[in-house]
Amino acid sequence: MKCEWVQQNVVLYVYDELPDDARHELEQHVARCATCMAEVRAVKNFRTDLAPFSVQEPSPNFLTDSRMKLQEALESAEQGGWWSRLVFEPMNWLQQIRFAPALTAAIFIVGFAGGIGATYKMGKGRGTEELISKPAPAALSSVSGVSSIAQQPGSDQVTIKYDTIVPQQHTGSFNDPEVQQLLLYAARNNFNAGVRMDSVNLLTQQPNNQHVREALLYALRYDSNTGVRLKALNGLGPYVKDDVQVRDAVLEALMSDTNPGVRVEALRLLDPVRADSSVRIVLQRLAQKDENRYIRSQARAMIAQLPEMN
Amino acid sequence: MAVQNRIDDTLLVREAQRGNRSAFEELVRHYDQAVLRLALHLTGSEHEAQDIYQEAFLKAYKNLGRFRFECSFYTWIYRIVTNLCLDNIRKKQVRKEDAPVATDAEGEVYDVLAQVADKRSGADPERDLMRRELGGKIAQALEKLTPRERMVFELKHYQGLKLRTVGEMLNTTEETAKNTLFRATQKLRSALAEMR
Repeated sequence: MKCEWVQQNVVLYVYDELPDDARHELEQHVARCATCMAEVRAVKNFRTDLAPFSVQEPSPNFLTDSRMKLQEALESAEQGGWWSRLVFEPMNWLQQIRFAPALTAAIFIVGFAGGIGATYKMGKGRGTEELISKPAPAALSSVSGVSSIAQQPGSDQVTIKYDTIVPQQHTGSFNDPEVQQLLLYAARNNFNAGVRMDSVNLLTQQPNNQHVREALLYALRYDSNTGVRLKALNGLGPYVKDDVQVRDAVLEALMSDTNPGVRVEALRLLDPVRADSSVRIVLQRLAQKDENRYIRSQARAMIAQLPEMN
Repeated sequence: MAVQNRIDDTLLVREAQRGNRSAFEELVRHYDQAVLRLALHLTGSEHEAQDIYQEAFLKAYKNLGRFRFECSFYTWIYRIVTNLCLDNIRKKQVRKEDAPVATDAEGEVYDVLAQVADKRSGADPERDLMRRELGGKIAQALEKLTPRERMVFELKHYQGLKLRTVGEMLNTTEETAKNTLFRATQKLRSALAEMR
């Protein structure tokens, strides 16, 4: 270990932010290096020197006054209602998964390709000049509305702007970013539970992707369909050990999911981390007073396998 | 205990999202003292600290419907508070206000550092004076940090949070928080050395 590394990390050492192995190595080095020992002392002294500007607890009067003022303000405040969620949430989703640019690009590319294809078919047998000057109009069934009509002055040329609703499809590898974006979109937004199930099923194949994991967590917490929640739960299972967010979500499912099957599955997935303190607390609650007899007995059995806590 | 709180918070947030005001008030009580302490230490003003406290919890209340448990409520509320505090520090740096002089809730001007010294040094006037001077120097040194450095240093040194949590609160990585703490400490050490 070099002195330079120690100098860079001594602050983290003093603030107890070094991993155990690095901490051990640093201590070994400092024991035989006077310069680094002096640096450690200097940073420790610096911490002590800051004591005169220490944090003061707010006085009880100040706290009470603040609470009363907040209560008054809450009286007149309104929580965001369903309408605001309806307006803002899709925007949040789009922002979170950076969906908007990708979707726009996908629609543009598919639309452009479709347009060229249609023009080519309709234009067979006609001259190139005609093709360019008279692009084929969209099929009337796909026109959702006309937004403006303008005639060019002194000619018979008319420009019509119209909107179309055309079902699109995109085929690609699962690793294709556009495919993944569409799957993420389908997992959260589609009204059809079967489509959500298909998308969650595919997403579980790549839970290492952060957006995918978020989508699975979302499905586990909020999807109305039990099958989709179960599928998401299974996809998240391998990450219960290392990801606290996943563990929390599985614990939530265990405590409050409406379906006993989902809860039993959550209980099974938590078995490898039953010694974790958050899991232990939930197990104790379930063992004492859960309405479901099977879950109660399973929780008791899992607790019985735990070592005694001092 | 922290784990128990996390589970309780989850249940309370769910209740509050269903429109239960008491559940939200219970959540407030879990965190309001810590929020007030942080805001008070950062702003040095009871009046400003109370404004930040109120604005933070009102924001949380209004936006609770959109809270999706992607982080803990604890991180979420601290994220709101630290953003408000950062705004406050930035405004102050623009206005170049005298940091040690502040106003309380009644509008009375008082010296923050004098209050700190009084409580800690007891009846020894000489020691009290020294502490006051040193406190003033520390406050000046802290002012030289960028708002973000000030916030990371505050959350780590004074509030005792882990840098991983600090990173989450400030929407950045643990590594960036580590680097920011390192820079802040170096700046403070040289500023305090110059003042000696």
